[in-house]
Amino acid sequence: MSDHFILGFLASCVAVSVPLSIALVRANSRARKLQHQLETASATQLEHDSRRTQIDSVKDEFISTVSHELRTPLTSIHGALGLLSAGLMGKVDDKSQNLLRIAASNTDRLIRLINDILDLERMKSGRDPLQIRRTSLSELAHQAIDSMSSIADSAKVRLELVPSAPPEAVFFNGDPDRLLQVLTNLLSNAIKFSNPGGTVEVHTGANLDAVLLRVSDAGRGIPLDKLESIFDRFQQVETADARKKGGTGLGLAICRTIIDQHSGTIWAESNPQHQRGPGASFLVSLPRVSRSHDVADAAAATTPPARSGSVILCDDDPGVRTVIAENLRRHGYSVFEAGSGEEAIEHARKGNAEAILLDLYMPGLTGWETLKQLKQSPATSGIPVVILSVLSATEVSPGHLQATSAAQGWVRKPFNDHLLLAELSRVLHSGEGKPRVLLVDDDIDLASRVISRLADANIHIDHATTRQDAIDQCLKAPPDLLVLDLTLPDGDGFSFVAWLRQQSTLCTMPIVVYSGRDVHHHEDNTLPPNPEQFLIKAPVRPREVEELVLNTVRRMRNPGSPIPGLN
Amino acid sequence: MRTVLIIDDEDDIREVAALSLEATVNWNISTAHSGAHGIEAASKNPPEAILMDVMMPGMDGPTTFRELQKNPRTAGIPVILLTAKVQGVDQRRFAGLGVAGVLFKPFDPLTLARQISEVLGW
Repeated sequence: MSDHFILGFLASCVAVSVPLSIALVRANSRARKLQHQLETASATQLEHDSRRTQIDSVKDEFISTVSHELRTPLTSIHGALGLLSAGLMGKVDDKSQNLLRIAASNTDRLIRLINDILDLERMKSGRDPLQIRRTSLSELAHQAIDSMSSIADSAKVRLELVPSAPPEAVFFNGDPDRLLQVLTNLLSNAIKFSNPGGTVEVHTGANLDAVLLRVSDAGRGIPLDKLESIFDRFQQVETADARKKGGTGLGLAICRTIIDQHSGTIWAESNPQHQRGPGASFLVSLPRVSRSHDVADAAAATTPPARSGSVILCDDDPGVRTVIAENLRRHGYSVFEAGSGEEAIEHARKGNAEAILLDLYMPGLTGWETLKQLKQSPATSGIPVVILSVLSATEVSPGHLQATSAAQGWVRKPFNDHLLLAELSRVLHSGEGKPRVLLVDDDIDLASRVISRLADANIHIDHATTRQDAIDQCLKAPPDLLVLDLTLPDGDGFSFVAWLRQQSTLCTMPIVVYSGRDVHHHEDNTLPPNPEQFLIKAPVRPREVEELVLNTVRRMRNPGSPIPGLN
Repeated sequence: MRTVLIIDDEDDIREVAALSLEATVNWNISTAHSGAHGIEAASKNPPEAILMDVMMPGMDGPTTFRELQKNPRTAGIPVILLTAKVQGVDQRRFAGLGVAGVLFKPFDPLTLARQISEVLGW
C-alpha cells in the first residue's frame, strides 16, 4: 500500500470537517437570532415561554444534528483505519503502519472529544434530565471498580474499595448512571497518573445528610494553584496531558456538571503526606436527597412558609426523638414526644395532634399494635400516621401488612430532614384520607365535568391549566395521583413528566396520562416512563377519565389488584 | 455461514461494515442503500439478521422496521439498528420499537461482529 493512498485518506478526513463547520455556523446563527428575538421582545409571559420552548427545540435539534453529522463521516474513517491498521486488508509496511497508528489514535481522540462535548452540552441544556432513583452507595462503587478493572490491570494498577462504614446500609437519591460516569472518570484519571504497581483507593462513607466518595492515587499529585482550575473545560495540569494521557480535557468538567446537578460538591486535594509519592484525591459529597439547582430554587420560591401544626412523635429512643423533634420545631411544628405506644395513644385521645410519627420496633406496645389501636378508636382513627422505620413499606412481613396499610405515610430510616418534612406535609395536606388528585388540562369544560364526577366519588381534586401551574401545585402540596393531558398551552405534557421524574419527592408519583391525539405512531420516543395508565382517545370523554382515575386510586389502595384493561 | 443484510444510505459505511464482517468472521454480507431496497432484498432472500441505519432519506430505519414486521416473510428477522444518534431521548425511542438491539456509530470494525453476535445470542 502506498504512502500516497494513506496521505490522501488523511486529507479526506480533514476535508469532511469543512462542510460540517458551515452547517454548525448556520445552526448557531439561527439559535443566536432566536435568542436575540427573545431578549428584545417585550412579550407576555406566555410568549416568553413559547420562545423558550422554541429555542430549546432548536438547540436540541442542533445537538442531534451535530452528533449525527460528525459521527457519520467518523464512522467510515474509524472503520477503514481500524481494518487497515489491523492488517486485515493485507500486509502494511512499517512506515505506513506508523502513519495508520497516528491516524487511528487521533480519530479515537476526536471521537472521545465529540462525545464529551455533546455530553456536556446535553447536560447543560437540561434536556436530558437526571433519572433520580434510590441508589446504593456500595453498588455504585463496586460497579465503577468492576468496569475499570481491565484498564487498571493493563496499567498494572490495583483498585481497592475502602468502605468507612457498613456500605450496605447506605442508600441515597441520585442518578446511578450519571454517578457511575463520574466515578469511572475519576478512576480513569487516577489510573492514568499512577505508576505501575501503584494502588488507587475508593473510599465510601456517609452521614445523616450526605454520602461521601473519595478516589485517591499515589501519582504525581496536583499543584495547589491547579486544584480548582482542572475542573474547567480544556484545563489540565500540564498542557501535554491531553496528548500523552489520551484525555479530552473535559472529563472533570463533566464530573462537576453531574455533581452540580445533584446539588453536590466535587473537589480535588493533593496528598503531600503520602509516602509513595505526592498523590491526589478527588472527593465527592452528595446530599442523600438530591434535586437539581433550578428546581431547588423554584421550590424555595414557592414553598409555603412553615406551618404551625401539632405532631405526636413516638419513638422509644430518646436520642432519635430529640433530633427529630428539634428539626420539626425549627420548621414550625409543635411536637408532643411519646416514648411508648401507650403514651402516643394517650396524647392522640386528648386531641393533641394533626399527625402521628410512629416507630415500629418498640418494647411494650409495638408500632403495629399502636397503629391498630389508633385506627380502631373513632376518636383517633382520623389522625394520619407516618411510620418511621428501618424497614421499607415493601419489606413488611405478610402478617403485619394489614396493620401497616392503615398508615398514610412511610419514611425509611435513616432519613434526612427534607424527606421527613415532605412526607409529613403530604399527609397533612391529604385531607381526611381522601385521595388528592391533580388534574392538569387546559380544557376547562372537560376538566369541570371530570371534577364534578369525581367529587361524588369522595376524591379531592385540584385543577391546573398550565404546565407551570402544575409544577407550582406539585411543589406546594404533592398530590397522590396526577392526571395529565399531554397537550398543554405552555409546553407539552412529556416535558412535565420528565421534570417530575427528576424530583426526588415526586418521582414515584403515579400518573394517568391521556391525549386526544394519536401519540403512539409519531411520539413513541417521548412517552412518559411508566405512566400508571395511558388513554388515547379522540375525543376524550369525562366518563373515561373518571374510570381511569377511579381504577388507579383503587389500585393505589390495593397494590395487589390487577390493572384494569384499557382500550 | 451467517447471512446479514446491511441497510445504510452511506456508501462508505456500508462498505466498511461489510468489509469488517467479511474480514473478521467471514459472514455472507448483502447490502441495500435504502429502506425500500432493503425490504425488497429481505423478502426476496431473507437474511438471518439485518443491520440497519436509522436516519435514511425516504423511508427511515424505524419505518422500514415496521414495514418488515408487517410482512410474514420478514417479520421474524432480527433487526439491529446502527445509529449515530446518542441522545437519551433517541435511545429511549429506539428501545421502544421492539428491535433486537441498538449499536452506535462510530463502531469498532474489529469488534462489530462480536457485538452483533452478543445481541443476537449467536
